[in-house]
Amino acid sequence: MNNQPLIRLKAITKRFKGVIANDAVDFDLYPGEVHTLLGENGAGKSTLMHILSGLVQPDSGSIEIRGESVNIRSPYDSLRHGIGMVYQHFALVPNLTVIENIILGFEEGLILNRKRTESVLKQIFKEFELSLPLDEKISNLSVGERQRVEIAKALFHRSDVLILDEPTSVLTPIESEELFNTVFSMRRMGKAVVFITHKLKETIGISDRISILKLGKKVAEMSGEDLRQVGEEEGYRRIFDVMFDNTQLPKDTTTIKRSSEEMPILELDQVVCLGNFGEMRLKKLSLKLNKGEIFGIAGVDGNGQKELAEILAGQRKVVSGRLILDGNDITHEEGAGTRTDLGISYITDDRMQEGCALSMSVAENSILRLFKRPPFSRRKIMNKANINRHAEALIREFDIKVSGPDVDVGTLSGGNIQKILLARELSLHPKVLVCNKPTQGLDAKTTRYVKDRLQQESVRGTAVLFISSDLDELLSCSDRIGVLYDGELLDIVNRCDANRENIGKLMLGIRQ
Amino acid sequence: MKQILYDKAAPAANSILSVISAFVVGGVILLFIGKNPFTLYGQLFLQGMGSSLGVIETIIKMAPLLMVSAGLLVAFSGGLWNLGVEGQFLMGAILTGWLAPKLVPFLSLPVYFITLGGIGFAGGMIWALLPAILKARYNLNEIIITLMMNYVALNLVTWMVKGPINDLSVVPAQTKLIPMTHRMPMIPFTRIHLGLIIGLIVIIGVYWIIRRTTMGYQIRVLFANKRAAIHTGMNVKRIIVWSLLTSGGFSGLAGAIDVLAIKGLFQGGWNPMYGITCIPLVFLARLNGWAVIPLSYFFSFLVVGGEFVARDQGVPVFFVHVLEGLMLLSFAAGEHIGKGRVT
Repeated sequence: MNNQPLIRLKAITKRFKGVIANDAVDFDLYPGEVHTLLGENGAGKSTLMHILSGLVQPDSGSIEIRGESVNIRSPYDSLRHGIGMVYQHFALVPNLTVIENIILGFEEGLILNRKRTESVLKQIFKEFELSLPLDEKISNLSVGERQRVEIAKALFHRSDVLILDEPTSVLTPIESEELFNTVFSMRRMGKAVVFITHKLKETIGISDRISILKLGKKVAEMSGEDLRQVGEEEGYRRIFDVMFDNTQLPKDTTTIKRSSEEMPILELDQVVCLGNFGEMRLKKLSLKLNKGEIFGIAGVDGNGQKELAEILAGQRKVVSGRLILDGNDITHEEGAGTRTDLGISYITDDRMQEGCALSMSVAENSILRLFKRPPFSRRKIMNKANINRHAEALIREFDIKVSGPDVDVGTLSGGNIQKILLARELSLHPKVLVCNKPTQGLDAKTTRYVKDRLQQESVRGTAVLFISSDLDELLSCSDRIGVLYDGELLDIVNRCDANRENIGKLMLGIRQ
Repeated sequence: MKQILYDKAAPAANSILSVISAFVVGGVILLFIGKNPFTLYGQLFLQGMGSSLGVIETIIKMAPLLMVSAGLLVAFSGGLWNLGVEGQFLMGAILTGWLAPKLVPFLSLPVYFITLGGIGFAGGMIWALLPAILKARYNLNEIIITLMMNYVALNLVTWMVKGPINDLSVVPAQTKLIPMTHRMPMIPFTRIHLGLIIGLIVIIGVYWIIRRTTMGYQIRVLFANKRAAIHTGMNVKRIIVWSLLTSGGFSGLAGAIDVLAIKGLFQGGWNPMYGITCIPLVFLARLNGWAVIPLSYFFSFLVVGGEFVARDQGVPVFFVHVLEGLMLLSFAAGEHIGKGRVT
């Protein structure tokens, strides 16, 4: 290994609105190295890489590239320094062909020298074990192929550093293997790769070095070689010890265990559904939800959580399998309105873009699902007084900080908007409440409040499907936890048997 | 208290400032083409607002503006940019011009007017149907489609009036003249036809629907956040089709009434271009139905006064459209600056 690092980040600190995202993080990268970044959601991995790619400016700390101190003010600066980033959401033009996308923004002169470009690309494809149809439109490519275009693009622009942000989360196992081959050839050619992932198996498999971030701090650096030598089991354990404090959870005595008899209210039977690109997102998922229980869904983001929530809420079609509510087959009773009427409520994880209309008032948002029912409207005419009274009652009950029901929702804080969503869904008195990351981005007090409300709701007999990527939260309030991995429910663990380690392993796709 | 006053006054202030700055920029343009803006504007106001002829003409012309604006209000409140009101207007007008003389012998007067109003409305709806379906089903851009449909309509009505429905007894390409007994009645003791009353009822009614009914609520949610509308179970496709059709319908109704009240027939090449007038109007009114009424008066005055001035001063009639366009531009600029300041 070369002694001069390609990139050296020193004591990088970044705060967002008082929340520390990176706290004096050191990170360096040598030529011919695969350096993996591990950490839970919100640990600061993305922020660190955004700083490197020029999207975010650090508050303090320094960046050195090939020994020279530099400022990276924009993604363009970052590209000029030879840093290429492959995002989770690709930045390609769907109507252009592969070759057009690759040269986009980097044409030398006005006229495209197709022959020369093609021969350079062929060379790159050979060296890095890539294969791509050059004249195919991006819109006709699979997700894996699109990712390869991004990589080819970075290599074509002679990037020495490639940042791959959770690259395997969208790939099939075979495609992942192909990607690793490309990564290995990059290493051979002296390029450096930053690999961001949640999957431990591949981390140990391909990394030269592993840095672990936790709450914005770098807490450990390990050698991939060492971990491979001690064996997979021991390797996992070492990473676990650092990533999750492996202390036993305090026994929660406050909640009374509800009636132990099982009264299933909602059943999913071999459910299959597709994602936005036609890829299979739920693979024959079966699940029984009991009355009055909180069923936690654990899993790393993007393993089918959103799709699971959406098929229950009626916003996404079930391709095969059945949904049974209270003994009735509701698979084909689609549409969010129908499901609301059937007694299924859904708190979306995208509270700003999907959950409410920001330019409308609190009152108008509070009845988004209820406006057709009396007393809010009769014979298609809205009753403003009743709507306001309803909104005022919710504001009081849920302690929403707002001066009145006429205030636009867009002026409220995230926590208060979440309370409006919670209030709206709970005011329907649902049989089943689906909530996707209901405490994401909320402060401790509001988080507490939301969790307490969900508990109360379950005591009333509502079945709560609680989807979250925060393991602690799930462990603290679920009766059972199912782990979703790659569209499958790997295992269902009872509260008393669940701990960070066994759930954490399942989240990373490792079965016991 | 001051804050509340400011909040209420600021939107109106931007609209008024837009009008003023449009006049100033328009004045500069006039200077460039060698006209004296002061004499021209002076004449505009003198004849449009100072003479009884000007005032009455202005009030008469408010009727179609009110109805077309009502149609736009429905669509714009849902974030659906129906720019096809001209085509929808023409379809309503030609169907009325063609069918009215045929219905004269068969229907009593009230039934006759209601039927023709319905026919005009249906004509506008038909012309909005294709863009509505394409938008709802395939999410195709309604701006382009509605706009292009105007040109199709213009050519279609010209062909119809020159061919299949031409009144062969006269030389110009036009439909049969509607007898005077079957024209739109006047408001008693005036020479202003009933269209004004209908227009006022329509604009206030539409505004009430948008603010107070479940359909209007859904339209507004669609504008505010389409994903939230889907998320909370609204039938977004139905809302899109419904509001675009209604929007077209009111333009068609305006066409029917113009034929019944003013023209008495449909003439080849006739296109009053109310769309160009009403789009800036509805924006300046900030989608507020009440504000549409005084603005309709003002825009109608511009059109009527503009015609007078064009004759006297030798300025193209289109200069009024230039002023209207400038108002929309300054309004957009004002909104942009305002946004930067407030938040």
